Amino acid sequence: MQTTNRALERFFEYRDRVKGFIEGIEQSPEPNPVLLKFFSLILENDEKTIDCIEHNKPLLSSWYGNAPEIYAAMDIHYYTVVDNIKAHSPFTNDLEMMDASPYPSDVCALIKLGAYGVESGIAPAPTAIIAMLEPCDAQPAIHEAWKNTESWKDIPVFALDHPYGIEEDDFSYFAGELKRMIAFLEDHVGQKMDYNKLREVIERTNQQYEAWAEYNELRRAIPCPHDSFVGSNLGWPTTQHITSGHPGAIEIFNMLIFDAEQRIKEKKGWTENERIRILWADLVPIWADDIAAWLGEEWGANIVMDFQGYTPYEHIDTSTEESMLLGLAKRNLVDVPMIRQARGTIDIMIEDITRMSKDYRCDCIIFPGHAGHKDQSASIAFLKEACRDLKIPLLTLTVDLFDPRYTPIDVLKRQISEFFEAHGLG
Amino acid sequence: MNNKINSKALQEFKEVSGTLINPALLEWKEKGGKVIGCMYHFIPEEIITAAGLLPFRMRATGSKGTELSESCFTQINCSYVRHLFDSGMRGDQAFLDGVVSVNNCDHIRRLYDNWQSKINTPYMHFLVFPKKSGEEQVEAYRKELLKFKKSLEEAFQVEITDERLREAIERHNETRRLQRKLYNFRKTANPPITGGDIMATMVAGTAMPKDQYHSLLHQLLEDCANHEGYNGYSARLMLIGGEIDNPEFVEVVESQGGIVVSDLLGYGSRSFMKDVDNTGDPLTSLARYQVMERPADPRIFGRTTLERDKYVKQMVKEYNVDGVVSVRLPLCDPWGFEQVNLSKYLKSKSIPHLPLEIEYILGSTGQIKTRVQAFLETITENNHHANN
Repeated sequence: MQTTNRALERFFEYRDRVKGFIEGIEQSPEPNPVLLKFFSLILENDEKTIDCIEHNKPLLSSWYGNAPEIYAAMDIHYYTVVDNIKAHSPFTNDLEMMDASPYPSDVCALIKLGAYGVESGIAPAPTAIIAMLEPCDAQPAIHEAWKNTESWKDIPVFALDHPYGIEEDDFSYFAGELKRMIAFLEDHVGQKMDYNKLREVIERTNQQYEAWAEYNELRRAIPCPHDSFVGSNLGWPTTQHITSGHPGAIEIFNMLIFDAEQRIKEKKGWTENERIRILWADLVPIWADDIAAWLGEEWGANIVMDFQGYTPYEHIDTSTEESMLLGLAKRNLVDVPMIRQARGTIDIMIEDITRMSKDYRCDCIIFPGHAGHKDQSASIAFLKEACRDLKIPLLTLTVDLFDPRYTPIDVLKRQISEFFEAHGLG
Repeated sequence: MNNKINSKALQEFKEVSGTLINPALLEWKEKGGKVIGCMYHFIPEEIITAAGLLPFRMRATGSKGTELSESCFTQINCSYVRHLFDSGMRGDQAFLDGVVSVNNCDHIRRLYDNWQSKINTPYMHFLVFPKKSGEEQVEAYRKELLKFKKSLEEAFQVEITDERLREAIERHNETRRLQRKLYNFRKTANPPITGGDIMATMVAGTAMPKDQYHSLLHQLLEDCANHEGYNGYSARLMLIGGEIDNPEFVEVVESQGGIVVSDLLGYGSRSFMKDVDNTGDPLTSLARYQVMERPADPRIFGRTTLERDKYVKQMVKEYNVDGVVSVRLPLCDPWGFEQVNLSKYLKSKSIPHLPLEIEYILGSTGQIKTRVQAFLETITENNHHANN
């Protein structure tokens, strides 16, 4: 009961903070309709979680790479333990509290926040857990940690085993895993799969991802019509971390597309006098705003694309149950961010970097060297070789994408400035 | 430790574990034998043996640095892969005719990619090991093993029949049985063999032909039976960790007066606690053993800490353990969490626990000795209070 109250209090806090953001935007001289829509979707999602906690309704703990389309089709509300903790970390003392946890300092902050979230009771105990064992070593580890936490130890868990390759056999195997997940959910959450509803959800997600791809095309324009990380920061939460197939996500992309098209017609870049176009070779950091603003103001630089935004989602064929499950299998193995680049061999990551650099006419690549992405750090030789072939300079950093204290922002700014100067950029 | 065991077999094992190319391996190569490096466990070495090849668990013994790794790995990659890659780049692993790896962790799988790109090893194969344990995963891993078998057959022009596989399974099971017998000696009040010596023996078992290893192990078993054993130690310890392969580290732990009588290590009891079932389809048996039966480590989900805790409890009891030392290489996420989970469990059972972090190649040992010494003093104090 105590942990339930703590979780509820925390979600009230999230809700109230988001309401505050919405009010602030509404009252501003030029309310940004995209941000208004975005925060309203987040608020709606948080309110669903609150409803589940307050009224003891089924609540699923899961992750973005676990085919959340299926949960939407089964009317199961899902949440990701780390999402709100991470997003609200600039306003809470969660990072400091996380420091007091016994986990090693060399583990990714996002994972440590997840372990802390469950142990401290600020993450509501779900009805069931779908474990995501990719894209990194810490994923299975965090689920083990949850298993070892008193309040979560008896919660039924089903883990999806993502295979290593990208052949048809791999997709079939994972489609089998998704079927087993559905059976698990029917048993433990008590909701039934409705394949007609799944068809509707997937078709809406197909539209979402088409819209996202269209927006991404517009970011190829020189100068880039929008700020660093815009599509990625808005796109990922609204397509993967709230109820899958929400029509609001399509609205957001359509608004972005409209605005970007206007700006391109008027030849208006986001950055005044855009001089440097950057590929950020990983996910968007939670300290993105600081670095993006500085890049624009100080260097006329814009991060035109990143791994989180450039996920080439393919259209899923919704004609049969089998085609839908196979399509979802492929999407969650090959399309979704991070899993796309980290699972399997080095090839996809290098191909993506090569293609993105060319498509977006990048002047340089910044590889953040996230503390949690040990596989990527062990790919540095391949990255350097690709950059040599592309004749694009590469900057390698060491950061924690989810903890701004890991490498102070001033240090990063200095490293980036030295890099630009050394290569005559800007 | 007083009253050291006098054993020629043990001396040979120490020589084998203290170097990469040992005399038995050299002899094997000189007779035209091929050696396949296994870049971690989860790889059924039985298949390699069935092909008439020698499986060799890869180590970076003797590595002096990681300079040649610096262009391929960063400071957030573990010292095992950096040393092993450096060793490969220097040509120290040139005796290997092939390398097999597995997606054990983020560091190891990219070690394979880098190795394939930069080091000229004639044969390479990558096995995909499931991330969780279940019947579907046994079937999936069986398919992987079938691919591996065919790949070996093609590359080395051999036929790996079911009969040969069963023979190989029997030989590897024999190794397991002999090692279990060896460990049984450690349950006694006066174990005839130290933890450091055990580590040398176990590592040697992954680096030499089975026949020679078995012959020497039989000798060592006799030597142990004839030895009056060690006394005067201050505490009986258990080591828990991943792929610790350095006897010197165990000797450092034992240098402060305790004796390591038990372990849950990749080179230790996890490798022999259960036999591979040698009935039925051999590839299925091998897959099942790796996915479902071999004592689990944190790499595989589904066979969780709760199951591993049971092994710890069992071994603490069987070996009359006074305290547990867990070991992690920095930057290893699975073992980072495992140490925390283990701490919780051991605390709940009032079993003293010392979590250590060590680099793959032992540098200065002063801090380890200090921490172990303090740990042993705590155990001695606790035992004194318990007795009173």
